[in-house]
Amino acid sequence: MTADKRQLVWDWPVRLVHWSMAILVLLLWWTAEEGIMDWHKRLGLTMLGLLVFRLVWGIAGSWTARFAPMIKGLAKLPAYFAALLKGGHKPSFGHNPMGVLSVFALLTLLGLQVGSGLFAVDVDGLESGPLSTFVSFGTGRDFADYHEFNFDILAVFIGLHILAILSYQFLIKDRLIGPMITGKRPAQDFGETPLPTMAVRPAALFAALLIAIGGVYLVANAG
Amino acid sequence: MKMRKIACLTPAVAGLMLLTACGQGGGDAGDEASGASGENATAALPNGMTVQEQIEARQKKLENIGGAFKTISDQLKSDSPDVAAIQTAAATVPAEATGMADWFPEGTGPDSGVETEALAIIWQEKEDFLSKISDMQNAAATLNTTAQGGDVAAIGEAFKATGGTCKACHDKFRLDD
Ligand code: HEC
Ligand code: HEM
Repeated sequence: MTADKRQLVWDWPVRLVHWSMAILVLLLWWTAEEGIMDWHKRLGLTMLGLLVFRLVWGIAGSWTARFAPMIKGLAKLPAYFAALLKGGHKPSFGHNPMGVLSVFALLTLLGLQVGSGLFAVDVDGLESGPLSTFVSFGTGRDFADYHEFNFDILAVFIGLHILAILSYQFLIKDRLIGPMITGKRPAQDFGETPLPTMAVRPAALFAALLIAIGGVYLVANAG
Repeated sequence: MKMRKIACLTPAVAGLMLLTACGQGGGDAGDEASGASGENATAALPNGMTVQEQIEARQKKLENIGGAFKTISDQLKSDSPDVAAIQTAAATVPAEATGMADWFPEGTGPDSGVETEALAIIWQEKEDFLSKISDMQNAAATLNTTAQGGDVAAIGEAFKATGGTCKACHDKFRLDD
C-alpha cells in the first residue's frame, strides 16, 4: 500500500458540485415539506447555478467531467455489463458506462425539477417561482403538479444511484465513494495506459462561474 | 402526504429497498378521482344543480380567484407594479367569493364520484369551515379597499393577510397536492 502513486480522477469542481447538489436536494425537500418557501426558492436558485455550472463544466472541465467521452463510453455498455456479470470487472478511469447512465438521468431529472420550480405557482397564489409571471395561473399550477411528481421520480433515481454505488463498494469491491471525496485512486488501478490529463483550466473555470452566476441573476430578476 | 415523501426519501438517502414501492406511490394527484360518471354525479341538489355542476362551478370560481391572486402577486413582484391591474384583480376576489358558504352542499364531497379536492372533514367540521370562509371574505374585502387606495406597501400586507386565510383553509379542508 505504501508509496503507491495516486491518480486524480475527479477534479475539485466536480466533487464540490456533486456534494453540494446532494446536500441541496435534501434541504430543498425539507424546506418544501416544512413550507419554508423563501429558503426553498433561494436554495433552488443555488441549485440552478450548480446545474448550469456542471453543464458548462461538462464541455470545458477536465477530462472525466466531460460529456463527450461519457457518451462515447456508452457504446461499451453491453460489453461492460457482460464482463461485470462474468466477474471480470475492471475499474474505469472516470465514469464507468453504468455511471454515465446515472449522470445523465440525474442531471436531466434535476434540470426538470429546477425548471418546473421556476414556473410553479402555489394553489393560494402566494408562493411562486421567479419565471411564473410569464405563465397563466392554470399553467403555473400544472408546473407545480409536475414539480411535485418529478420529485418522486428524482428520489427513486437518487436511490438507484446510491444503491449502485453501494453495490460496487461492497459486492464488486470497486471503491467509488472515497475518490468522489478525495478525488484520487491508486494509479495501479488503471494499469500502464497513458491517461488524459486532468488539468483544471483557470479560464474555463472562470467562464463556467460567470455563466452560472449570470444565468441565476437573470432568472432571479426576470419577473 | 408527508409520510409518503418521507417514505420515499428515506430509501433514497439510505440507498436501500422500497424503490419500486415508492415509484408506485408517486403522483397521487388524481387518485381521489374515480371518474365523473358515477350516478351520484348527476343527482340533483336542493339548489337545482347536479352534483357535478356544483363541484365544477365552485372549482371555476376558485380558479378565477386564484388567477386574480396571481395577477396581484405578479404585480407586487414587479419593480413598477401596475396599480390599475391590481385594483381590478382585487375587486374580482370578493366578487367571486360571494356566497361561498353555499358552494359545498352535502353530497359534493369525495364520495360524489366527481373529481374534487374537497375533503370529507368539511362536513364534519362545518362550523370551522364556515368561519374560515368568512375570515377569507373579510380579508378579501379589506384587500379590495386597500387596493383602491393605491398604496403598494399596504396592498402587499393586505395581500399576505388574505393569502394566509386561503392557506389556513386549504391546509385543513383541501386535499394536499
Ligand atoms: C373555507 C375554505 C377555503 C378558503 C378560505 C379558500 N379555499 Fe380554495 N379551496 C377550498 C377547497 C375545499 C377546494 C377544493 C375544491 C374542489 O376541488 O372541489 C379549494 C380549491 C381551490 C383551488 C383549485 C380549484 C380547482 O381548479 O380545482 C384554487 C385555485 C383555490 N382554492 C384558491 C383559493 C384562494 C386564492 C383562496 C383565498 C383567496 C382560497 N382558495 C380560499 C377551500 C377554501
Ligand atoms: C432540484 C431542485 C428542487 C427540488 C428537489 C425541489 C423540491 C420540491 C418539493 C419536494 C416540493 C413539494 C411539492 C409538494 O409536495 O407539493 C416543492 C415545491 C415547490 N417548489 Fe421546489 N424543488 C426544487 C427547485 C425549485 C426551484 C428552482 C424553485 C423556484 C425558484 C422551486 C419552487 C417551488 C414552489 C413554488 C413550490 C410550491 C408548489 C406547490 O405549492 O405546489 N423549486 N419543491
